[in-house]
Amino acid sequence: MIEALGLAARAGSFRLQDITFTVPDGAYGVVIGPAGSGKTTLLETIAGITPQTAGTLRLGGRDMQVIPPEQRGLGLVYQHGYLFPHLSVEQNIAYGAPDPIAASEVATRLGAWDLRDRAVESLSGGERQLVALARALARRPAILLLDEPFSALDPRRRESTRRELRRIHREWGTTVLQVTHDFTEAGLLGDVAILLDRGRVLQSGRPEEVFRKPASSYVAEFLGAENVFAGTARAIDGSDPAGDAPNELHQAVEFRTGALRIYAVANAVESPGYAVIRAEEVLLSLEPQLGSSARNLFRGRITEISTLGALTRISLDVAGTPLVAALTTRSAQELGLVVGMEAYASFKAMAVHLC
Amino acid sequence: MRIASVVAALLGSLLFLFLVAPIAQLVATSGVEGGVRLGTDAELRRALGLTAATATAATLLGVLGGTPIAFLMERWRFRGRAIVAAFLDLPLLIPHPVAGIALLLVLGRESALGGAALDLGLRIVGSPVGIVCAMLFVSAPLYISGAREAFARVDPRYEAVARTLGDHRWRVFRRVTLPLSGRGLVAAAVVMWARAVSEFGAIVIITYNPKTVSVLSYDRFTSFGLREALPVAAILTVLALLPLTALRALRYERRPDLGAGAAA
Repeated sequence: MIEALGLAARAGSFRLQDITFTVPDGAYGVVIGPAGSGKTTLLETIAGITPQTAGTLRLGGRDMQVIPPEQRGLGLVYQHGYLFPHLSVEQNIAYGAPDPIAASEVATRLGAWDLRDRAVESLSGGERQLVALARALARRPAILLLDEPFSALDPRRRESTRRELRRIHREWGTTVLQVTHDFTEAGLLGDVAILLDRGRVLQSGRPEEVFRKPASSYVAEFLGAENVFAGTARAIDGSDPAGDAPNELHQAVEFRTGALRIYAVANAVESPGYAVIRAEEVLLSLEPQLGSSARNLFRGRITEISTLGALTRISLDVAGTPLVAALTTRSAQELGLVVGMEAYASFKAMAVHLC
Repeated sequence: MRIASVVAALLGSLLFLFLVAPIAQLVATSGVEGGVRLGTDAELRRALGLTAATATAATLLGVLGGTPIAFLMERWRFRGRAIVAAFLDLPLLIPHPVAGIALLLVLGRESALGGAALDLGLRIVGSPVGIVCAMLFVSAPLYISGAREAFARVDPRYEAVARTLGDHRWRVFRRVTLPLSGRGLVAAAVVMWARAVSEFGAIVIITYNPKTVSVLSYDRFTSFGLREALPVAAILTVLALLPLTALRALRYERRPDLGAGAAA
């Protein structure tokens, strides 16, 4: 469990302030924030690398004020890996591992063990990330802190690594805190979402709550008007008209949330999970668009129209589920949209990100 | 652009000639004679041995004390860091005879420290210990600044990762920092050693006898004239080339990605 209460820290001229959030035992927390928001400093403060200047940090119920990094029982993986260049890949993986066999096992699961004979300098950015992840997990830490750990992996490798990490996280009950500037790219929303901006936590909680009920208009804007739905997903074999055989990378998926069934295309099915649709991807029309290639078509009632300059956000109620579309103010005017009116929303299966 | 290149090349060549010509002339004139003297002149051999031994001792002391100073200066952001850094550079600014006089005030027979040492049977002034002190004073700042540079090239995040992998500070220093900064530290020690070997001004004030090579060449010059001083100077020059060559070899072999580390 990670508990931060009014936590503050300073790194150079940058300040983390009033950081409060909780990631329960064995949960997966995701810190979302733009570049320069203090994500890495937050991880370094939790790790004890950057000293806290105020507030309380508890890991597994223990106050960490005076506990040095090596006694916190956590692993830290930086975006760039920071593999020790004077050691071999194998020595890197085994660096802090009490048991070399267990270290090789977890490295094998992540696909890093095949790299053991390579020189660190010869590894690609993605390979360094795999080895760094294996090195941190080889100690079986109770808490794992990840700084954009998959950013340099190619999409296929990213997907398989993410899946394996999720599996390890569940098997071992590891509490994970991962930071990302783009959660759709990270393919992840986790159990707890923490929004960080300019060194402060804007909001934290279950992802669907944070997205559905932004605490302020700033948070809503910060999140970029996303539709986030919690629900269950299942693969629908053979239903993809374009694919002859089930393809590992592209699977047709049906995602259920409330009364809605959303069609998506994904390379892995995580269930339960989240479906995220950017508001810009949602098209509105007054009549059902027949003959359109969009797989998802819903009828709903307009509950809110908010205009901000050239952009207008339309909230629809679709059988009890809120759906937001973003369109140009001019289009909204041309359609003559008003609150209470019925409209059709459509979006492509490809526009649905499953996290 | 072309003219600028020509001018730059010309200026560079002139300076290179200016630096090399006197030494080349010295070695050409008296190098052979110096080599012969090495066989016949027992005092010269003793001076060479004494110089190498005292310079090595001073360098070891400089490394032992200077490494922690350099590491703390590089990793610990404390108030007054700039002032401490300036004080550490001060011995480089003082004319060396003045440094010798200052040392005499602290270590001389009349001083508290020097007197106490003498009571314990340790003679500083007029002994090899005095030579080591003089060398340490004038050359340790060079080691410290070189070591600071070596530590600065090691990204502290390597150390951060090692700590989360279970190592306490000392173990991290031994397992990560030292291997990654080792070449830079050795290079800094070689510079310190070379500077200690060439020291004259401070040594001559504290310990005239026994003589280091620098004092011996001065002594021969004042007692017997240039002809006797040249071979001694020449042999010192030739021997000084050894550590310098070693240093350059280390510089060129340095691995490229110590600091930037990782980068994807």
